[in-house]
Amino acid sequence: MKEKTREVKLPEAGQWPDRMAPVILGVGIVLSTLGFLLAFLWVGPVYGASVDGVELIGGSMVSQMLLISQKIFYFHMPVAIVSFIALAFAAYYAIRFLMTKEQRFDSCSQVAMEVALLFVICTMITGEMWTRFEWGVWWTWEPRLTTYLILMLIVIAYFILRNAVDEPERSATYSAVVSIIALIDVPICFMVTRLIPSSIHPVVLREGGMTADMGICLVVCLVGLLCVGFALYRARFNQIRLTQRVEAMKQTLEERQ
Amino acid sequence: MSSQSAISPDTPALAVADLVKKFGTRKAADGISFTLPQGAFLSVFGPNGAGKTTLLRMLATLARPTSGTIEVLGVDAKEKPDEVRELIGIISHNSFLYPDLTAEENLVLYGKLYGVPQPEKRAAELLDVVGLRTRRHDRVRTFSRGMRQRAAIARALVNDPRIVLLDEPYSGLDPHAVEIVDELIESVRADRTFVMVSHDLEKGLALCTHALVLARGRVVSFSPVENLDAQEFRELYRSTVGMGVA
Amino acid sequence: METPKRPSGFAQYKTLLAKDLRQEFRTKEMLISMGVYALLVIVVFGVALSFARPGEEFLEVSAGLLWALIAFTSLLGLNRSFSHEVEEESLEGLLLAPLDHGVIFLSKATSNLVFLLIVEVIAIPLYWLFFSSLTHPAETGWLMVVPILIGSIGIAGIGTLLSTITVNTRGKDVMLALLFVPIVFPLLYACVSATTAAIVGGDLMAESFMVSLALAAGYDVIMILASWVLYDFVVGA
Repeated sequence: MKEKTREVKLPEAGQWPDRMAPVILGVGIVLSTLGFLLAFLWVGPVYGASVDGVELIGGSMVSQMLLISQKIFYFHMPVAIVSFIALAFAAYYAIRFLMTKEQRFDSCSQVAMEVALLFVICTMITGEMWTRFEWGVWWTWEPRLTTYLILMLIVIAYFILRNAVDEPERSATYSAVVSIIALIDVPICFMVTRLIPSSIHPVVLREGGMTADMGICLVVCLVGLLCVGFALYRARFNQIRLTQRVEAMKQTLEERQ
Repeated sequence: MSSQSAISPDTPALAVADLVKKFGTRKAADGISFTLPQGAFLSVFGPNGAGKTTLLRMLATLARPTSGTIEVLGVDAKEKPDEVRELIGIISHNSFLYPDLTAEENLVLYGKLYGVPQPEKRAAELLDVVGLRTRRHDRVRTFSRGMRQRAAIARALVNDPRIVLLDEPYSGLDPHAVEIVDELIESVRADRTFVMVSHDLEKGLALCTHALVLARGRVVSFSPVENLDAQEFRELYRSTVGMGVA
Repeated sequence: METPKRPSGFAQYKTLLAKDLRQEFRTKEMLISMGVYALLVIVVFGVALSFARPGEEFLEVSAGLLWALIAFTSLLGLNRSFSHEVEEESLEGLLLAPLDHGVIFLSKATSNLVFLLIVEVIAIPLYWLFFSSLTHPAETGWLMVVPILIGSIGIAGIGTLLSTITVNTRGKDVMLALLFVPIVFPLLYACVSATTAAIVGGDLMAESFMVSLALAAGYDVIMILASWVLYDFVVGA
């Protein structure tokens, strides 16, 4: 057979977002740390009270513990938001994959889902701490916690499904469908648990708006964690693309023998 | 299928151009092109993983090519898959029959899905052809492997396809059943076009009018069988199989 | 031969549905296994509740247990719903026919719904019979038919999509449960709420019955539409 001089198209990797990733990671770490410090050192507790020991604030006994729970909130909420954004991206890339059947989008979707899993687990941990300190129990079927538990279970099932199908294209298609279903399911789950009045688990309504310093702290944390999430996404995506690149090179070498 | 009567005899049964099927870096088909006239019998040879089954699945509209075109009797498979489906029948090593329905029920079911005018009559005719008339009210589950394959042939012909695809039709059959299947294929040959994927080199060569050899998703050789030197072809086949799995 | 006319989607739907029903009523494999399984779950509940005191408290729990019964039984049925299709790869045979993939989804979802309803008609009266010594539903109890119907429709819809996915995976039984339970959670939650409201009656009924039903129906509409759209990709993969 004649030696074929075919142009070899390799999966690309290392474009500008990858070069930006370390910088963004740095920014993310700095901002998150700053947010952490702000939360503990700068932002006042709710209702502007400062507590030493146990005091009566707004008609209820407030201890040091409740204050810690307030600090957790500055991380809990941004982490939860980032995980949902990652899920939305996973579903977005899943739709693009189903339309084009290009492996690149499947990898994007998979990596976004991995980031979502990481942040969902962080949400669960911070949420757990929150419930423990705020309500004194380890678990309660509160709408937000329930929703994130369900989200976590779906994301875990997603990865088990990915590994349970041998054929790569089929596995990618099934995963894409599940990630789209997950994105539809999660808001419904939140609405259902939130809107149905439950005699056993009263919906906890938090009163009072946020003061400016709280808002700033929250935004700093959110931006910081978004940056961390993005950098993780790029790093992992880069790694997967490089693996695919190596695979493509091996195949080309094999064919040229 | 009203277009069927309008097909001119010069229209190629299959016109495949630069067919590519890939996922990521894995290429199951890498630029396959060939044209097959009507009434031909094409045998597709190649080692495991050469893309034979992928090619057949794409011809049957079960898999969508990444790029390239397939025209079945002038109908574009990507744009009008339903019209192509009406033109083809497939006989595989799986019978596609429902084991808990009778042979007749299976044929009537598929006949109705294809919109055959009198599905019961058509089913009876086909069961006569494959010699299963007396067993038509028996469940397919009670059939032997050979009988199932005969029923599968009847099923594939229910829509009177112009093109019949054969995917390893002999696998798992005893020599007697192979003979019967051979006879059946010969008897329904008429002016239909056949494409067969098989590991059986001798069988493939004996039946075919055209031979296609694939390796790593590419066409190694495609020619009418009368232009082939049988000995040379066997050598080529052996060396291709030697190339191993892509 | 006369030239065939392509049948309408509805005609094909009826053909496929008749095929599923005929097959099942001939073998009764799925119905019998689901029915016996439902009975076994009731027995397990009986053991679990053997030291419970009768009264109001049980009434509040009973709707939840009823839905646990439905969820587990439907899971078993869904796992089997594609066993006929893969035995001789007949699903591929259907894909070869000039047939919209949405028709396959709708016919399969309908047959799953029919089997689920048949099993429910037998299992739910049995459930109340076995636990009649513990408690009795309120007068509005018969209204539980509505959430059960809405819930079954949703389970059959999303369940058909998921079982089509898992039929081609390794360890398919477990895989279906892993996907099915969290995805169907909102529907279960809403249906349990509505069923509890119907059984307990009184204030709870007025308060949450309609809201829960509306949410369950909303879930059905959204999820069945999504499954119907996505089915094309799943079944062709």
